[in-house]
Amino acid sequence: MNTQKLKSVFAEALDIEESFITDELTYNSIAEWDSVAHMALVAEIDDQFDIMLDTDDVLDLSSFSKAKEILTKYDIAFD
Amino acid sequence: MRFWNFTGRAGQAVVMPDQSYTYMDLEEAVEQRKWKFNENNKQLVLILCKNNYDVLVTYLAALQSSQAVMLLSVEMDRKLLKGIIDTYKPKWIYGSINMGEYESAGEALWIRSVPVSANIHPDLAVLLSTSGTTGSRKFVRLSYDNIQSNAESIVEYLHLDAVERGVLNLPISYSYGLSIINSHLAAGATVLLTDESIMAKSFWPFFQEQKATSFAGVPFTYQMLQRIGFFKMNLPHLRSYTQAGGRLDERLVKMFGEYAADHDKRFYVMYGQTEASPRMSYIPPDRLLEKTGSIGVPIPGGSFEIDRETEELIYKGSNVMMGYAECLEDLRKGDELHGVLHTGDTAMVDEDGFYTITGRIKRFVKLFGLRVNLDEVEKRLESELQAAVACTGTDDWLIVAVESEEAKRVVQSCLDSVYKLHKSAFRIHVMESIPRTSNGKTDYAAIKDGFK
Repeated sequence: MNTQKLKSVFAEALDIEESFITDELTYNSIAEWDSVAHMALVAEIDDQFDIMLDTDDVLDLSSFSKAKEILTKYDIAFD
Repeated sequence: MRFWNFTGRAGQAVVMPDQSYTYMDLEEAVEQRKWKFNENNKQLVLILCKNNYDVLVTYLAALQSSQAVMLLSVEMDRKLLKGIIDTYKPKWIYGSINMGEYESAGEALWIRSVPVSANIHPDLAVLLSTSGTTGSRKFVRLSYDNIQSNAESIVEYLHLDAVERGVLNLPISYSYGLSIINSHLAAGATVLLTDESIMAKSFWPFFQEQKATSFAGVPFTYQMLQRIGFFKMNLPHLRSYTQAGGRLDERLVKMFGEYAADHDKRFYVMYGQTEASPRMSYIPPDRLLEKTGSIGVPIPGGSFEIDRETEELIYKGSNVMMGYAECLEDLRKGDELHGVLHTGDTAMVDEDGFYTITGRIKRFVKLFGLRVNLDEVEKRLESELQAAVACTGTDDWLIVAVESEEAKRVVQSCLDSVYKLHKSAFRIHVMESIPRTSNGKTDYAAIKDGFK
Protein backbone atom coordinates (compact mmCIF):
# COMPACT_ATOMS: atom_id res chain seq x y z
CA MET A 1 0.00 0.00 0.00
CA ASN A 2 2.80 2.40 0.86
CA THR A 3 4.51 1.58 -2.42
CA GLN A 4 1.42 2.75 -4.26
CA LYS A 5 1.19 5.82 -2.05
CA LEU A 6 4.82 6.71 -2.72
CA LYS A 7 4.26 6.17 -6.43
CA SER A 8 1.45 8.69 -6.53
CA VAL A 9 3.56 11.13 -4.51
CA PHE A 10 6.31 10.81 -7.14
CA ALA A 11 3.85 11.11 -10.01
CA GLU A 12 2.34 14.22 -8.47
CA ALA A 13 5.62 15.97 -7.60
CA LEU A 14 7.44 15.14 -10.82
CA ASP A 15 4.34 15.53 -12.95
CA ILE A 16 4.84 12.23 -14.77
CA GLU A 17 2.72 9.12 -15.40
CA GLU A 18 2.82 6.50 -12.67
CA SER A 19 3.80 3.91 -15.25
CA PHE A 20 7.19 5.64 -15.62
CA ILE A 21 7.98 5.14 -11.98
CA THR A 22 10.17 2.11 -11.42
CA ASP A 23 12.84 1.32 -8.86
CA GLU A 24 15.44 2.44 -11.39
CA LEU A 25 14.07 5.96 -11.81
CA THR A 26 16.86 8.30 -10.65
CA TYR A 27 17.36 12.01 -9.95
CA ASN A 28 18.43 14.02 -13.01
CA SER A 29 17.86 11.01 -15.31
CA ILE A 30 14.74 12.65 -16.70
CA ALA A 31 14.11 16.33 -17.33
CA GLU A 32 11.12 16.26 -14.97
CA TRP A 33 13.23 15.29 -11.95
CA ASP A 34 15.40 18.37 -11.54
CA SER A 35 16.18 20.31 -8.38
CA VAL A 36 12.91 22.21 -8.49
CA ALA A 37 10.92 18.99 -8.71
CA HIS A 38 13.10 17.46 -6.02
CA MET A 39 12.07 20.22 -3.61
CA ALA A 40 8.43 19.54 -4.44
CA LEU A 41 8.99 15.82 -4.01
CA VAL A 42 10.57 16.22 -0.59
CA ALA A 43 7.75 18.51 0.54
CA GLU A 44 5.15 16.04 -0.74
CA ILE A 45 6.81 13.09 1.02
CA ASP A 46 6.98 15.08 4.27
CA ASP A 47 3.29 15.93 3.95
CA GLN A 48 1.89 12.61 2.85
CA PHE A 49 3.87 10.46 5.29
CA ASP A 50 3.82 13.04 8.06
CA ILE A 51 7.58 13.03 8.62
CA MET A 52 10.45 15.52 8.28
CA LEU A 53 13.32 14.14 6.21
CA ASP A 54 16.84 14.89 7.48
CA THR A 55 19.47 16.73 5.40
CA ASP A 56 21.31 13.54 4.50
CA ASP A 57 18.11 11.82 3.49
CA VAL A 58 16.99 14.71 1.30
CA LEU A 59 20.27 14.53 -0.58
CA ASP A 60 20.36 10.72 -0.57
CA LEU A 61 16.92 10.38 -2.03
CA SER A 62 18.27 9.85 -5.53
CA SER A 63 16.01 7.09 -6.86
CA PHE A 64 12.62 5.53 -6.27
CA SER A 65 14.12 2.47 -4.63
CA LYS A 66 16.35 4.68 -2.46
CA ALA A 67 13.25 6.59 -1.37
CA LYS A 68 11.67 3.37 -0.08
CA GLU A 69 14.87 2.46 1.74
CA ILE A 70 15.03 5.87 3.40
CA LEU A 71 11.37 5.89 4.41
CA THR A 72 11.85 2.53 6.11
CA LYS A 73 14.07 4.37 8.62
CA TYR A 74 11.06 6.50 9.46
CA ASP A 75 9.03 3.39 10.29
CA ILE A 76 7.20 3.27 7.02
CA ALA A 77 6.98 -0.28 5.77
CA PHE A 78 7.05 -1.40 2.14
CA ASP A 79 6.02 -4.85 1.00
CA MET B 1 44.66 45.17 -16.19
CA ARG B 2 41.60 43.59 -17.79
CA PHE B 3 40.36 40.48 -16.00
CA TRP B 4 40.68 38.36 -19.15
CA ASN B 5 44.43 39.03 -19.25
CA PHE B 6 46.22 37.37 -16.36
CA THR B 7 49.80 36.93 -17.46
CA GLY B 8 52.14 36.18 -14.61
CA ARG B 9 49.46 35.11 -12.16
CA ALA B 10 50.08 32.12 -9.96
CA GLY B 11 47.74 29.88 -8.02
CA GLN B 12 44.68 27.84 -8.87
CA ALA B 13 42.25 29.40 -11.32
CA VAL B 14 39.61 26.72 -11.82
CA VAL B 15 38.76 23.58 -9.88
CA MET B 16 36.34 20.98 -11.19
CA PRO B 17 35.36 17.83 -9.28
CA ASP B 18 37.85 15.74 -11.24
CA GLN B 19 40.63 18.20 -12.07
CA SER B 20 42.15 21.56 -11.23
CA TYR B 21 43.90 24.17 -13.32
CA THR B 22 46.35 26.91 -12.39
CA TYR B 23 46.37 30.39 -13.90
CA MET B 24 49.37 29.25 -15.97
CA ASP B 25 47.41 26.27 -17.32
CA LEU B 26 44.54 28.59 -18.14
CA GLU B 27 46.79 31.08 -19.89
CA GLU B 28 48.29 28.34 -22.04
CA ALA B 29 44.91 26.85 -22.94
CA VAL B 30 43.52 30.27 -23.86
CA GLU B 31 46.60 30.98 -25.97
CA GLN B 32 46.00 27.72 -27.87
CA ARG B 33 42.30 28.34 -28.32
CA LYS B 34 42.96 31.84 -29.65
CA TRP B 35 44.48 30.35 -32.79
CA LYS B 36 40.99 29.22 -33.72
CA PHE B 37 39.77 32.80 -33.64
CA ASN B 38 42.46 34.08 -35.94
CA GLU B 39 40.48 36.53 -38.00
CA ASN B 40 41.15 40.16 -38.75
CA ASN B 41 37.57 41.35 -38.92
CA LYS B 42 35.68 41.21 -35.66
CA GLN B 43 33.30 38.25 -35.68
CA LEU B 44 30.70 36.65 -33.44
CA VAL B 45 31.37 33.50 -31.38
CA LEU B 46 28.39 31.63 -29.95
CA ILE B 47 29.19 29.50 -26.91
CA LEU B 48 26.71 26.88 -25.77
CA CYS B 49 27.57 26.94 -22.09
CA LYS B 50 27.99 24.25 -19.48
CA ASN B 51 29.88 24.91 -16.31
CA ASN B 52 33.21 23.49 -17.36
CA TYR B 53 36.79 24.51 -17.95
CA ASP B 54 36.69 24.30 -21.73
CA VAL B 55 33.76 26.71 -21.96
CA LEU B 56 35.65 29.16 -19.77
CA VAL B 57 38.77 28.83 -21.95
CA THR B 58 36.73 29.53 -25.07
CA TYR B 59 35.05 32.55 -23.49
CA LEU B 60 38.40 34.03 -22.43
CA ALA B 61 40.01 33.28 -25.81
CA ALA B 62 37.16 35.14 -27.53
CA LEU B 63 37.59 38.14 -25.21
CA GLN B 64 41.37 38.19 -25.64
CA SER B 65 41.13 38.05 -29.41
CA SER B 66 38.50 40.84 -29.43
CA GLN B 67 35.74 38.73 -30.94
CA ALA B 68 32.19 39.32 -29.71
CA VAL B 69 30.78 36.44 -27.62
CA MET B 70 27.18 35.33 -27.32
CA LEU B 71 26.51 33.03 -24.37
CA LEU B 72 23.56 30.63 -24.30
CA SER B 73 22.76 27.57 -22.25
CA VAL B 74 23.62 24.24 -23.87
CA GLU B 75 20.23 23.02 -22.66
CA MET B 76 18.34 25.46 -24.79
CA ASP B 77 15.65 24.00 -27.01
CA ARG B 78 17.22 23.22 -30.42
CA LYS B 79 14.45 24.80 -32.45
CA LEU B 80 14.69 28.06 -30.54
CA LEU B 81 18.47 27.90 -30.81
CA LYS B 82 18.23 27.53 -34.57
CA GLY B 83 16.12 30.68 -34.72
CA ILE B 84 18.83 32.59 -32.88
CA ILE B 85 21.61 31.17 -35.06
CA ASP B 86 19.67 32.08 -38.21
CA THR B 87 19.23 35.62 -36.89
CA TYR B 88 22.79 36.34 -35.76
CA LYS B 89 24.77 34.00 -38.06
CA PRO B 90 27.76 33.54 -35.72
CA LYS B 91 31.05 32.76 -37.44
CA TRP B 92 31.96 30.18 -34.80
CA ILE B 93 29.87 27.99 -32.54
CA TYR B 94 31.24 26.14 -29.55
CA GLY B 95 29.22 23.08 -28.57
CA SER B 96 27.66 20.17 -30.33
CA ILE B 97 25.40 21.26 -33.15
CA ASN B 98 24.26 19.68 -36.33
CA MET B 99 23.53 22.36 -38.86
CA GLY B 100 24.15 22.43 -42.57
CA GLU B 101 25.79 25.84 -42.56
CA TYR B 102 28.54 24.78 -40.16
CA GLU B 103 31.51 22.46 -40.44
CA SER B 104 33.76 21.12 -37.72
CA ALA B 105 36.81 23.18 -36.80
CA GLY B 106 38.01 20.69 -34.20
CA GLU B 107 37.81 20.79 -30.38
CA ALA B 108 34.03 21.18 -30.27
CA LEU B 109 34.21 24.30 -32.44
CA TRP B 110 32.15 24.76 -35.57
CA ILE B 111 32.80 27.30 -38.27
CA ARG B 112 30.28 28.79 -40.64
CA SER B 113 30.98 27.60 -44.15
CA VAL B 114 29.01 30.35 -45.86
CA PRO B 115 30.77 33.63 -45.11
CA VAL B 116 28.77 36.45 -43.53
CA SER B 117 29.82 40.06 -43.71
CA ALA B 118 29.38 40.99 -40.09
CA ASN B 119 29.91 44.54 -39.03
CA ILE B 120 30.42 44.46 -35.30
CA HIS B 121 31.09 47.48 -33.12
CA PRO B 122 34.64 47.37 -31.73
CA ASP B 123 33.43 47.93 -28.14
CA LEU B 124 31.00 44.97 -28.16
CA ALA B 125 32.25 42.20 -25.85
CA VAL B 126 29.35 40.01 -24.72
CA LEU B 127 25.77 39.32 -25.76
CA LEU B 128 23.50 37.92 -23.07
CA SER B 129 19.91 36.81 -23.52
CA THR B 130 17.23 38.88 -21.83
CA SER B 131 15.04 35.88 -21.20
CA GLY B 132 17.13 32.86 -20.32
CA THR B 133 15.79 29.88 -22.20
CA THR B 134 12.60 31.08 -23.84
CA GLY B 135 14.45 31.71 -27.08
CA SER B 136 13.90 35.43 -27.36
CA ARG B 137 16.12 36.97 -30.00
CA LYS B 138 16.58 40.06 -27.89
CA PHE B 139 20.04 40.34 -26.37
CA VAL B 140 21.81 42.75 -24.06
CA ARG B 141 24.94 44.28 -25.59
CA LEU B 142 27.77 44.62 -23.07
CA SER B 143 31.05 46.39 -23.77
CA TYR B 144 34.54 45.54 -22.53
CA ASP B 145 34.32 48.51 -20.16
CA ASN B 146 30.92 47.33 -18.88
CA ILE B 147 32.11 43.90 -17.78
CA GLN B 148 35.46 45.13 -16.51
CA SER B 149 33.99 47.92 -14.38
CA ASN B 150 31.31 45.69 -12.89
CA ALA B 151 33.90 43.00 -12.08
CA GLU B 152 36.05 45.61 -10.29
CA SER B 153 33.11 46.95 -8.26
CA ILE B 154 32.13 43.45 -7.22
CA VAL B 155 35.69 42.64 -6.13
CA GLU B 156 35.68 45.79 -4.03
CA TYR B 157 32.38 45.40 -2.16
CA LEU B 158 32.60 41.62 -1.73
CA HIS B 159 36.25 41.97 -0.62
CA LEU B 160 37.35 39.27 -3.03
CA ASP B 161 41.02 38.35 -2.88
CA ALA B 162 43.39 35.68 -4.18
CA VAL B 163 42.47 33.23 -1.40
CA GLU B 164 38.78 33.36 -2.27
CA ARG B 165 37.44 29.97 -3.42
CA GLY B 166 33.95 30.62 -4.74
CA VAL B 167 31.64 27.81 -5.82
CA LEU B 168 29.82 28.50 -9.04
CA ASN B 169 26.89 26.31 -9.99
CA LEU B 170 24.80 29.06 -11.58
CA PRO B 171 24.99 28.91 -15.38
CA ILE B 172 27.82 30.88 -17.02
CA SER B 173 25.30 32.07 -19.63
CA TYR B 174 23.32 33.77 -16.86
CA SER B 175 24.51 37.29 -16.01
CA TYR B 176 24.84 36.51 -12.27
CA GLY B 177 26.90 33.39 -12.99
CA LEU B 178 29.08 35.22 -15.49
CA SER B 179 29.72 38.08 -13.04
CA ILE B 180 31.09 35.55 -10.56
CA ILE B 181 33.57 34.23 -13.14
CA ASN B 182 34.58 37.76 -14.12
CA SER B 183 35.02 39.09 -10.59
CA HIS B 184 36.94 36.02 -9.39
CA LEU B 185 39.36 36.29 -12.30
CA ALA B 186 39.77 40.01 -11.59
CA ALA B 187 40.72 39.15 -8.00
CA GLY B 188 43.06 36.30 -8.96
CA ALA B 189 40.77 34.00 -6.97
CA THR B 190 39.77 30.37 -7.57
CA VAL B 191 36.46 29.34 -9.11
CA LEU B 192 35.08 25.98 -8.02
CA LEU B 193 33.10 25.07 -11.09
CA THR B 194 30.25 22.54 -11.17
CA ASP B 195 26.87 21.95 -12.79
CA GLU B 196 25.51 20.18 -9.72
CA SER B 197 22.60 21.62 -7.81
CA ILE B 198 22.93 21.95 -4.05
CA MET B 199 20.28 19.22 -4.01
CA ALA B 200 22.71 16.75 -5.54
CA LYS B 201 24.53 14.59 -3.05
CA SER B 202 27.88 15.00 -4.80
CA PHE B 203 27.74 18.79 -4.47
CA TRP B 204 28.56 18.86 -0.76
CA PRO B 205 31.70 16.66 -0.72
CA PHE B 206 33.06 18.89 -3.53
CA PHE B 207 32.16 21.98 -1.51
CA GLN B 208 33.85 20.65 1.65
CA GLU B 209 36.92 19.01 0.14
CA GLN B 210 37.69 22.08 -1.93
CA LYS B 211 37.27 24.32 1.12
CA ALA B 212 34.79 26.65 -0.55
CA THR B 213 34.85 30.14 0.94
CA SER B 214 31.71 31.44 -0.80
CA PHE B 215 28.70 30.50 -2.87
CA ALA B 216 25.99 32.33 -4.78
CA GLY B 217 22.29 31.63 -5.02
CA VAL B 218 18.98 32.83 -6.39
CA PRO B 219 15.93 32.92 -4.08
CA PHE B 220 15.12 29.27 -4.83
CA THR B 221 18.63 28.22 -3.76
CA TYR B 222 17.99 29.72 -0.34
CA GLN B 223 14.62 28.01 -0.04
CA MET B 224 16.35 24.70 -0.80
CA LEU B 225 19.21 25.42 1.60
CA GLN B 226 16.78 26.09 4.38
CA ARG B 227 14.95 22.83 3.68
CA ILE B 228 18.06 20.67 3.51
CA GLY B 229 19.25 21.95 6.86
CA PHE B 230 21.93 24.49 5.94
CA PHE B 231 21.87 25.91 9.46
CA LYS B 232 22.97 22.59 10.92
CA MET B 233 25.86 22.09 8.53
CA ASN B 234 29.40 22.58 9.66
CA LEU B 235 31.06 24.80 7.04
CA PRO B 236 34.25 26.11 8.65
CA HIS B 237 35.81 27.49 5.46
CA LEU B 238 32.76 29.40 4.31
CA ARG B 239 33.26 33.18 4.64
CA SER B 240 30.39 34.66 2.67
CA TYR B 241 27.37 33.97 0.49
CA THR B 242 25.49 36.17 -1.95
CA GLN B 243 21.91 36.34 -3.18
CA ALA B 244 20.51 37.95 -6.33
CA GLY B 245 18.16 37.07 -9.16
CA GLY B 246 14.93 38.25 -7.58
CA ARG B 247 13.44 39.17 -4.29
CA LEU B 248 14.16 36.82 -1.41
CA ASP B 249 11.43 36.38 1.18
CA GLU B 250 12.22 38.64 4.17
CA ARG B 251 11.88 35.75 6.58
CA LEU B 252 14.70 33.93 4.75
CA VAL B 253 16.81 37.09 4.55
CA LYS B 254 16.53 37.31 8.33
CA MET B 255 17.31 33.62 8.92
CA PHE B 256 20.38 33.62 6.68
CA GLY B 257 21.42 37.04 7.99
CA GLU B 258 21.23 35.91 11.60
CA TYR B 259 23.12 32.73 10.81
CA ALA B 260 25.85 34.84 9.19
CA ALA B 261 26.01 37.21 12.14
CA ASP B 262 26.26 34.33 14.61
CA HIS B 263 28.88 32.40 12.66
CA ASP B 264 31.20 35.21 11.63
CA LYS B 265 30.16 35.06 7.98
CA ARG B 266 28.89 37.72 5.59
CA PHE B 267 25.58 37.53 3.73
CA TYR B 268 25.14 39.86 0.75
CA VAL B 269 21.67 40.57 -0.59
CA MET B 270 22.08 42.21 -3.98
CA TYR B 271 20.10 43.78 -6.81
CA GLY B 272 20.85 43.93 -10.51
CA GLN B 273 19.70 43.38 -14.05
CA THR B 274 21.47 41.84 -17.03
CA GLU B 275 21.26 45.34 -18.56
CA ALA B 276 23.73 46.52 -15.88
CA SER B 277 26.29 43.70 -16.38
CA PRO B 278 24.45 42.97 -13.89
CA ARG B 279 25.15 44.40 -10.43
CA MET B 280 23.68 47.72 -9.27
CA SER B 281 23.35 47.57 -5.50
CA TYR B 282 23.93 45.49 -2.38
CA ILE B 283 23.22 45.65 1.34
CA PRO B 284 26.47 45.90 3.29
CA PRO B 285 26.35 42.73 5.47
CA ASP B 286 26.69 44.60 8.76
CA ARG B 287 23.50 46.56 7.94
CA LEU B 288 21.52 43.59 6.60
CA LEU B 289 19.37 42.83 9.64
CA GLU B 290 18.50 46.46 10.06
CA LYS B 291 17.78 47.02 6.35
CA THR B 292 15.99 43.79 5.47
CA GLY B 293 13.62 44.30 2.57
CA SER B 294 15.74 46.96 0.90
CA ILE B 295 18.07 46.55 -2.08
CA GLY B 296 20.79 48.44 -0.23
CA VAL B 297 23.13 51.06 -1.61
CA PRO B 298 24.66 51.50 -5.09
CA ILE B 299 27.81 49.51 -5.82
CA PRO B 300 31.15 51.40 -5.90
CA GLY B 301 31.18 53.64 -8.97
CA GLY B 302 27.42 53.57 -9.42
CA SER B 303 24.58 55.84 -8.31
CA PHE B 304 20.81 55.81 -8.09
CA GLU B 305 18.24 58.48 -8.76
CA ILE B 306 14.49 58.35 -8.40
CA ASP B 307 12.47 60.01 -11.13
CA ARG B 308 10.34 62.60 -9.40
CA GLU B 309 7.34 62.13 -11.60
CA THR B 310 7.21 58.37 -12.09
CA GLU B 311 9.20 57.19 -9.05
CA GLU B 312 11.20 55.03 -11.42
CA LEU B 313 14.59 53.91 -10.15
CA ILE B 314 17.31 55.12 -12.48
CA TYR B 315 20.84 53.75 -12.27
CA LYS B 316 23.98 55.49 -13.51
CA GLY B 317 27.34 53.82 -13.89
CA SER B 318 29.92 52.59 -16.36
CA ASN B 319 28.41 49.08 -16.21
CA VAL B 320 25.20 50.10 -18.01
CA MET B 321 24.87 48.19 -21.29
CA MET B 322 25.40 49.71 -24.72
CA GLY B 323 21.80 48.82 -25.61
CA TYR B 324 19.76 45.90 -26.91
CA ALA B 325 20.21 43.87 -30.07
CA GLU B 326 17.34 42.23 -31.89
CA CYS B 327 19.08 41.39 -35.15
CA LEU B 328 22.52 41.04 -36.70
CA GLU B 329 22.52 44.63 -37.93
CA ASP B 330 22.15 45.89 -34.35
CA LEU B 331 25.64 44.57 -33.52
CA ARG B 332 27.18 47.51 -35.33
CA LYS B 333 25.55 50.00 -32.97
CA GLY B 334 27.60 51.84 -30.37
CA ASP B 335 26.61 52.96 -26.89
CA GLU B 336 23.01 54.16 -26.90
CA LEU B 337 22.39 54.53 -23.17
CA HIS B 338 25.44 56.55 -22.10
CA GLY B 339 25.58 55.03 -18.65
CA VAL B 340 21.93 55.66 -17.71
CA LEU B 341 19.58 52.74 -17.13
CA HIS B 342 15.84 53.07 -16.52
CA THR B 343 15.26 49.99 -14.40
CA GLY B 344 11.48 49.83 -14.81
CA ASP B 345 11.21 49.37 -11.05
CA THR B 346 9.81 52.04 -8.78
CA ALA B 347 11.65 52.73 -5.55
CA MET B 348 11.98 54.88 -2.49
CA VAL B 349 15.04 55.84 -0.50
CA ASP B 350 15.41 56.17 3.26
CA GLU B 351 17.37 58.73 5.29
CA ASP B 352 20.44 56.47 5.29
CA GLY B 353 20.51 56.21 1.51
CA PHE B 354 19.13 52.65 1.32
CA TYR B 355 16.76 51.96 -1.56
CA THR B 356 13.65 49.80 -1.51
CA ILE B 357 11.76 48.56 -4.56
CA THR B 358 8.09 49.47 -4.33
CA GLY B 359 6.81 47.96 -7.57
CA ARG B 360 7.07 47.96 -11.31
CA ILE B 361 6.69 51.23 -13.13
CA LYS B 362 3.15 52.11 -13.98
CA ARG B 363 2.14 51.91 -17.55
CA PHE B 364 1.46 55.38 -18.91
CA VAL B 365 0.62 56.97 -22.21
CA LYS B 366 0.72 60.65 -22.89
CA LEU B 367 -2.35 61.98 -24.66
CA PHE B 368 -2.23 65.63 -25.52
CA GLY B 369 0.43 66.08 -22.89
CA LEU B 370 -1.76 64.34 -20.35
CA ARG B 371 -0.36 61.33 -18.52
CA VAL B 372 -2.87 58.50 -18.54
CA ASN B 373 -2.28 55.57 -16.24
CA LEU B 374 -3.25 52.53 -18.29
CA ASP B 375 -3.76 50.22 -15.31
CA GLU B 376 -6.10 52.73 -13.74
CA VAL B 377 -8.18 53.16 -16.88
CA GLU B 378 -8.28 49.41 -17.35
CA LYS B 379 -9.59 48.83 -13.83
CA ARG B 380 -12.20 51.54 -14.21
CA LEU B 381 -13.47 50.15 -17.52
CA GLU B 382 -13.51 46.66 -16.11
CA SER B 383 -15.79 47.66 -13.26
CA GLU B 384 -18.00 49.53 -15.71
CA LEU B 385 -18.21 46.57 -18.10
CA GLN B 386 -18.00 43.62 -15.76
CA ALA B 387 -16.15 41.93 -18.61
CA ALA B 388 -12.61 41.47 -19.86
CA VAL B 389 -10.94 44.57 -21.18
CA ALA B 390 -7.32 45.55 -21.81
CA CYS B 391 -5.72 48.96 -22.26
CA THR B 392 -2.50 49.73 -23.98
CA GLY B 393 -1.34 52.61 -26.11
CA THR B 394 1.12 54.46 -28.23
CA ASP B 395 2.17 58.06 -27.97
CA ASP B 396 -0.81 58.99 -30.10
CA TRP B 397 -3.65 56.78 -28.97
CA LEU B 398 -5.07 54.93 -26.07
CA ILE B 399 -5.87 51.45 -27.36
CA VAL B 400 -8.63 49.46 -25.73
CA ALA B 401 -9.41 45.83 -26.52
CA VAL B 402 -12.84 44.41 -25.72
CA GLU B 403 -14.68 41.23 -26.64
CA SER B 404 -18.04 42.47 -27.97
CA GLU B 405 -19.68 45.30 -29.88
CA GLU B 406 -21.80 46.01 -26.86
CA ALA B 407 -18.68 46.46 -24.72
CA LYS B 408 -17.26 48.78 -27.32
CA ARG B 409 -20.24 51.11 -26.95
CA VAL B 410 -19.91 51.16 -23.16
CA VAL B 411 -16.20 51.92 -23.34
CA GLN B 412 -16.81 54.65 -25.87
CA SER B 413 -19.27 56.48 -23.69
CA CYS B 414 -17.20 55.95 -20.55
CA LEU B 415 -14.01 57.35 -22.09
CA ASP B 416 -16.02 60.26 -23.34
CA SER B 417 -17.94 61.04 -20.16
CA VAL B 418 -15.50 60.00 -17.42
CA TYR B 419 -12.14 60.78 -18.99
CA LYS B 420 -13.33 63.48 -21.37
CA LEU B 421 -11.24 61.93 -24.06
CA HIS B 422 -11.81 63.10 -27.56
CA LYS B 423 -12.57 60.24 -29.91
CA SER B 424 -9.43 60.96 -31.90
CA ALA B 425 -7.39 60.04 -28.81
CA PHE B 426 -8.47 56.44 -28.57
CA ARG B 427 -9.11 53.35 -30.65
CA ILE B 428 -11.31 50.48 -29.58
CA HIS B 429 -10.67 47.00 -30.85
CA VAL B 430 -13.27 44.26 -30.78
CA MET B 431 -11.40 40.97 -30.51
CA GLU B 432 -12.71 37.44 -30.27
CA SER B 433 -10.78 37.09 -27.04
CA ILE B 434 -8.16 39.25 -25.39
CA PRO B 435 -4.75 37.71 -26.12
CA ARG B 436 -2.84 36.21 -23.20
CA THR B 437 0.77 35.15 -22.84
CA SER B 438 1.59 31.56 -21.92
CA ASN B 439 1.61 32.43 -18.22
CA GLY B 440 -1.87 33.90 -18.42
CA LYS B 441 -1.01 37.60 -18.39
CA THR B 442 -2.60 39.99 -20.85
CA ASP B 443 -0.45 40.17 -23.95
CA TYR B 444 -0.37 43.95 -24.46
CA ALA B 445 2.26 43.71 -27.19
CA ALA B 446 -0.02 41.47 -29.27
CA ILE B 447 -2.90 43.89 -28.86
CA LYS B 448 -0.70 46.74 -30.00
CA ASP B 449 0.66 44.69 -32.91
CA GLY B 450 -2.80 43.63 -34.00
CA PHE B 451 -3.71 47.24 -34.26
CA LYS B 452 -0.91 48.30 -36.59
